[in-house]
Amino acid sequence: MSIFNDDKVKKLEQGYEEWAEERAKGIAGAGDYTTDSGIPMKLLYTPVDIKDFEYEDIGFSGAPPFVRGIYPNMYRGRMFTQRQLAGFGTPSDLNKRFKYLLKHGATGVNTLFDLPTIRGYDSDCPQAAGNVGDCGCSVDSVLDIEELYDGIPIDEVSVSVVTHLPSTNVAILAMYIVMAEKRGIPFEKLSGTNQNDFIMETCVGSAPEILPPRASFRLQCDAVEYSTKHLPRWNPISYNGYNLREAGTDAITEVGVALSNAIATSEELIRRGMKVDDFARRLSFFWDLFNDFFEEIAKCRASRKVYHDIMKERLNAQAERSLLMRYHVQTAGITLTAKEPLNNIARSAIQGLAAILGGAQSLHIDSYDEAYSAPTEEASLVSLRTQQIIGVETNVTNTVDPLAGSYFVEHLTKEVADRIKAYIAKIDEMGGLVAAVESGWLHNEIANYAYEMQGETESGKRQIAGVNYFPQEGRASETIEVFSYPEETEELQKEKLRTFRKSRDDAKHKKCMDELRAVCHRDENVMPYVIDAVKAFATLGEIEDVFRTEFGLWQFPLV
Amino acid sequence: MAGADKILIAKLGLDIHWRGAMIVSRFLRDSGKEVVYLVNSFPEEIVDAALEEGVSVVGLSTLCGNHLTLGPKVVQLLKERGAGDVAVFIGGTIPPADIPRLKAAGLTEVFPPESSLSHILECVNSCSVVS
Repeated sequence: MSIFNDDKVKKLEQGYEEWAEERAKGIAGAGDYTTDSGIPMKLLYTPVDIKDFEYEDIGFSGAPPFVRGIYPNMYRGRMFTQRQLAGFGTPSDLNKRFKYLLKHGATGVNTLFDLPTIRGYDSDCPQAAGNVGDCGCSVDSVLDIEELYDGIPIDEVSVSVVTHLPSTNVAILAMYIVMAEKRGIPFEKLSGTNQNDFIMETCVGSAPEILPPRASFRLQCDAVEYSTKHLPRWNPISYNGYNLREAGTDAITEVGVALSNAIATSEELIRRGMKVDDFARRLSFFWDLFNDFFEEIAKCRASRKVYHDIMKERLNAQAERSLLMRYHVQTAGITLTAKEPLNNIARSAIQGLAAILGGAQSLHIDSYDEAYSAPTEEASLVSLRTQQIIGVETNVTNTVDPLAGSYFVEHLTKEVADRIKAYIAKIDEMGGLVAAVESGWLHNEIANYAYEMQGETESGKRQIAGVNYFPQEGRASETIEVFSYPEETEELQKEKLRTFRKSRDDAKHKKCMDELRAVCHRDENVMPYVIDAVKAFATLGEIEDVFRTEFGLWQFPLV
Repeated sequence: MAGADKILIAKLGLDIHWRGAMIVSRFLRDSGKEVVYLVNSFPEEIVDAALEEGVSVVGLSTLCGNHLTLGPKVVQLLKERGAGDVAVFIGGTIPPADIPRLKAAGLTEVFPPESSLSHILECVNSCSVVS
């Protein structure tokens, strides 16, 4: 039953119409407005717009359907994890940056790898030339992982390992496990998150060599299955709406695709004999927050509701923990401008505030210099401070879900939830997400949206301060300090690899690689075999070569 | 139509961000140009494709910091293979300080973030057709 009294709503409806006729007709701003995702926005919202609203639709914090947040006390109980992304150079370069961020109050570390690592090439591979240690840290072997987390209390701080692609993820996760074992840290103490998403591998990023969607999806599920069984505090997947959105989609597609992937993963793991309540508790999500402040907050709230409904009704989860969606937010890199870069501090702060009003568990705030390069140390400190300002200076964390009950926010939350559900239904009709990806449908969604956005920016329909809205004519190019990557990384990594390969037992290494090759063709989890290969000093590139050879390659269809 | 009418667009090396390259390709195609979209490729493959397709302009897209190493290599390989008259454009997250270095290395145009599509088209149109 609605919390609004029917008679009062009827009176209000009448009152609203009179107001529209007498006071709002023909006045400035009376035309059509929409959110970034194209949801109509009215001039004024009243209880009429949420007349069917029942309080149970949102519930209490820490209780189903978790619209108001996943913990009863939210940020009073635990401040959001301030997790700044960092990655460049050699593992020891990045290890120093981690320690710097932790010393200044970061409560988690977020590891980014260079492109050769992400795409599974060793530093001495010809494809890696010119990119070793750029945009992320270079990792070739378990020795690099040891160096990377040396002295970081990985049994205390939560460690995000942004592996992006399932194929890379299985190798890096195996290295992480072997490193922890060597340090004597019990697996149940390992807390962290992998980004492990076949959409990243097959749609979001282009590459010279891509695994077919089904193979990538299988590796994604292998890591989830293995972690569920052995690493109870580890989040083996972070469904990555973020990078999909950055590549070019709206908020509805971002969440719809991520949730479809969660459905596909769950169905696959159930097929493998697991129970939904065993693995659902550690699934996590990753959202991108743009400048459309209320729509992004509504997205955060709505996605928790849709997830709750799917897990409960579609996948029959019983445990409450399986029904709550946890997510990390990164502010939108694509909204950052090269012109007047300091303005990006304001953009990122607004996006970060939306994340907290939306109930995020952890946050990365982009740095103002990211249209130019990876952030300098100074710029990344400004981002961390922005998080701290939101966290302790604004009082927004003192009460839970403060925007609940707003006519507009509740209306928008419901509208976003309905649209996400419709989007998931569309993917279901195509035979599920893996089939939809194979057909090239998602690639074209991305391409069309990105092209349209660019057109709107160039025509001035989409206004960007300092770029097409009151730009400074004749402004000289920006003087900005740019992060420069350590130049010697490639040579250092190559040298390390040479010594590493010499030091291994070749027969043992070959045996492990043969076993890994064989398991690719069986309905069996690859993880134990990858771990054995890592212990036999297989490099990342060698493991990935096995996948490329055994699964074959795929080029995404693009019209 | 003025200027070059056949263009090759490639993602340079391992860079994964295809949004910019795809937008530019579509825009040039919609503006009546013939666009060959070569997915991720390394300089040798790019030059092979440019010669095979007989394009007048090669457009490179990168956001991952490999512009200074791989960009000039494309220009150099084209020259070595007698195709120095093919113009090479590069776009992406390129710091201002690197622009003069790229131009000095023979890249015809550099498009940092926020370069407009119409400006890119003008540059394409001001290139002469490779005979």
